[in-house]
Amino acid sequence: MSYTLEDLFRLVQKPGRYTGGEMNSVVKDKEKVNIRFAFCFPDLYEVGMSHLGMKILYGLYNEVPDIWCERVFMPDTDMEELMRQNGIKLFGLESRDSIDTFDFIGFTMQYELSYTAALNMLDLAGLPLRSLERDSSHPIVIAGGPCVSNPEPIADFFDLFVLGEGEEVSLELFELYRRHKAAGFDRDKFLTEAAKIEGVYVPSLYEISYKDDGTIASVTPVNGAPAKVRKRIIEDLDRVYYPDRFVVPFIDIVHDRGMSEIFRGCVRGCRFCQAGFIYRPVREKSPEVIDAQSRALCENTGYEEFSLSSLSTSDYSQLETLLPRLLDWAEKQKTNISLPSLRVDGFSEELAARLNILRRSGLTFAPEAGTQRLRDAINKNLTEDEILSTARKAFSAGWTSVKLYFMSGLPTETMEDIEGIANLSQKIVDSFYKNPDKPKGKGVNVSVSVSCFVPKPFTPFQWEPQDTMEMLQEKQKHLRDSVKTKKISLKWHDAATSFLEGVFARGDRRLCAVLEEAFKRGCKRDAWGEHFNLQTWIDVMNDLGVDPAFYANRRREYDEILPWDHLDFGVSKKFLIRENQLAHQSRTTPNCRQSCSGCGAAVWKKGVCVE
Amino acid sequence: MKEIRIRFKKIGRAKYISHLDLTRTMIRAVRRAGIPVWYTEGFNRHPYVTFAAPLSLGFEGLNECMDTRLVEDMPMEEMVTRLNSVLPEGIEVIKASDPVMKPGDIAFAQYRLSFLKGKFKGIEGNIREFLARDSILVEKKTKKGDSKKIDLMPLLEKAAIETGDSAVMLEVTLPCSSTETVNPGLISAALNDFLTEKYGGENTLFCDITRRDLLNAEGLPFE
Repeated sequence: MSYTLEDLFRLVQKPGRYTGGEMNSVVKDKEKVNIRFAFCFPDLYEVGMSHLGMKILYGLYNEVPDIWCERVFMPDTDMEELMRQNGIKLFGLESRDSIDTFDFIGFTMQYELSYTAALNMLDLAGLPLRSLERDSSHPIVIAGGPCVSNPEPIADFFDLFVLGEGEEVSLELFELYRRHKAAGFDRDKFLTEAAKIEGVYVPSLYEISYKDDGTIASVTPVNGAPAKVRKRIIEDLDRVYYPDRFVVPFIDIVHDRGMSEIFRGCVRGCRFCQAGFIYRPVREKSPEVIDAQSRALCENTGYEEFSLSSLSTSDYSQLETLLPRLLDWAEKQKTNISLPSLRVDGFSEELAARLNILRRSGLTFAPEAGTQRLRDAINKNLTEDEILSTARKAFSAGWTSVKLYFMSGLPTETMEDIEGIANLSQKIVDSFYKNPDKPKGKGVNVSVSVSCFVPKPFTPFQWEPQDTMEMLQEKQKHLRDSVKTKKISLKWHDAATSFLEGVFARGDRRLCAVLEEAFKRGCKRDAWGEHFNLQTWIDVMNDLGVDPAFYANRRREYDEILPWDHLDFGVSKKFLIRENQLAHQSRTTPNCRQSCSGCGAAVWKKGVCVE
Repeated sequence: MKEIRIRFKKIGRAKYISHLDLTRTMIRAVRRAGIPVWYTEGFNRHPYVTFAAPLSLGFEGLNECMDTRLVEDMPMEEMVTRLNSVLPEGIEVIKASDPVMKPGDIAFAQYRLSFLKGKFKGIEGNIREFLARDSILVEKKTKKGDSKKIDLMPLLEKAAIETGDSAVMLEVTLPCSSTETVNPGLISAALNDFLTEKYGGENTLFCDITRRDLLNAEGLPFE
């Protein structure tokens, strides 16, 4: 006896992940739409539903009368097993129709370890994994998101990639699709034409050749595809679409609140941070627009909390204007404002009190490195004095715990820098006990979380070798030995997942075969700790003759052709080389507001570049 | 401050909303609808809502009950209209009124168990055979976490069997109070065990369970 989809809801954990029907989800008459789009997030519902980009594009696409965009997430293991046993294909939450009949399947690629999940979803949809094995009868399979700054390791599976911000370019792509569909759809013709849209990268139109040493010899566009594909940006954030309602989930998700985007890009230029480079230039929304959008969002969702979303909220130039304006209505409606990635200093006391800053955000710092020398090398402009003075203030206000985020394996890092992590943490502990106003009868807890640095494309560290797992483990041991008190608790991220992330972050097309084989051997949920199995990956790479160290642990020369060199995210190679050299001299670069460092993003003549 | 009792349906897709998630859904619906409800005091202030008798995940409910408090007057009809314009598919407010009884007065609940005919051959005969036994012993989890054996037979004596076009329905009234509750899922599970014993193999027989109403100790509808 085989079960229906409805039957499966009774058998699985958390059926609310699969049933759809949430408030503000969009159901259209499928007979009356021309383009059906499956928006796929290669992770669980709880994770995907927390993602702002998906909410924006879902709302934008569904505003268009002849487009119906549905949500699709990775099912959990119990649901997947039942779907496979009962021949039920991956379906859209809104219609419950199998997505293999849709016009487009679009993935957002947020992290490298979700690549196999995307393959699994294509497989669950009953589609051939490779673009070459699909034809005009299949949906067009596309992807966007930060990982497509180097989409080469997944190039064989996707028909096209959308580089940069998707609001305008995807509508242009749909318009082209309408014309081709009306004229009798031919996939190859469509893809050749799509490649002419700025921001669209069709990987099958580029031939890659390699040198004997394994590095790239040449990248050759064919059929009139451009030699360089430049990412797209939205020029005026005040005028771009923003959803006035989010789908309100039934089940608890990771970030279950409203989100108001306040700007894109980041002025800081921390050299390890990919987001700080690929989203340039910084463009802000005006306080009036943010205010109106936040208000509409809260009214239409009933959310009791919304956050101001950006890469570095404190850097919003009109925060002191915006916050009182938002608070005026939010306080009346008993709506909380949450401010992630906020520097807690630099607020007036009155505003800090109204925002309840300390209670809300807790006390969290991301010094990223343990010594000033290394912080200068990575261009993280946070000084020990700033950290200690804020911590003192917080202790006086009754706080007893502090969270610190660091990275290990940063370029130029030595054991001295590792000891610096322990020393800085110790200074915070000491400042608690030296504080005359400290909370009576209480101890302090400094929790230190250390992640492993992964060099990423389009950053000044794109040429740097990643530390091997052995090096990272040695540094970890040294840090444990350097911590002398139980007031400091240490948490270390798994070096094995970072290693695999490092392989794929700067990988080339030869890794597509590795991904496919690893998927066939059961790797489907690498981003979920308990399902990650490094040994399978090592075995696959051994069997296919691929050396992971070539991708992760090798220093590249400045003149090497990198797998992503034919893509243009606005920052020039010249600038990145200069930044790399400054890093090795432990010299900082001013942020975009202090002075322009000529990264290249000024070609758009927008945002901070022309302020 | 004024106590208000809201009666609603929870059917279709909404039956997969767990009790905890329903609470959150209703809180947000009350906010979207702009109903002037009382907010709880304290750290995380939210609209006060309370449910007299939580409904299990997967069950439909035709006359569920949620109580709240108003800080300003609003006509009952307006409240119903406003809520229904913002509630998700499957949740529908039937009426808002002044509470007559106390939540603690709820003693029983009426359920309908529907067994789809197509899924299993001779389902009606089997149900009759199942109900003709002397006793139906099942394991019931207690609040303490261990389990005890109870006999469902006395509860099923008044059960009515009804045959529809596509399903066979069993109507039962079961205890549903703070001191004693019997989940109708125990009946369908026992029937499954009975069928497995009789025919062998895995004959999972899906059963749609609907709570039709809540009753007080005298068997009168809860108001």
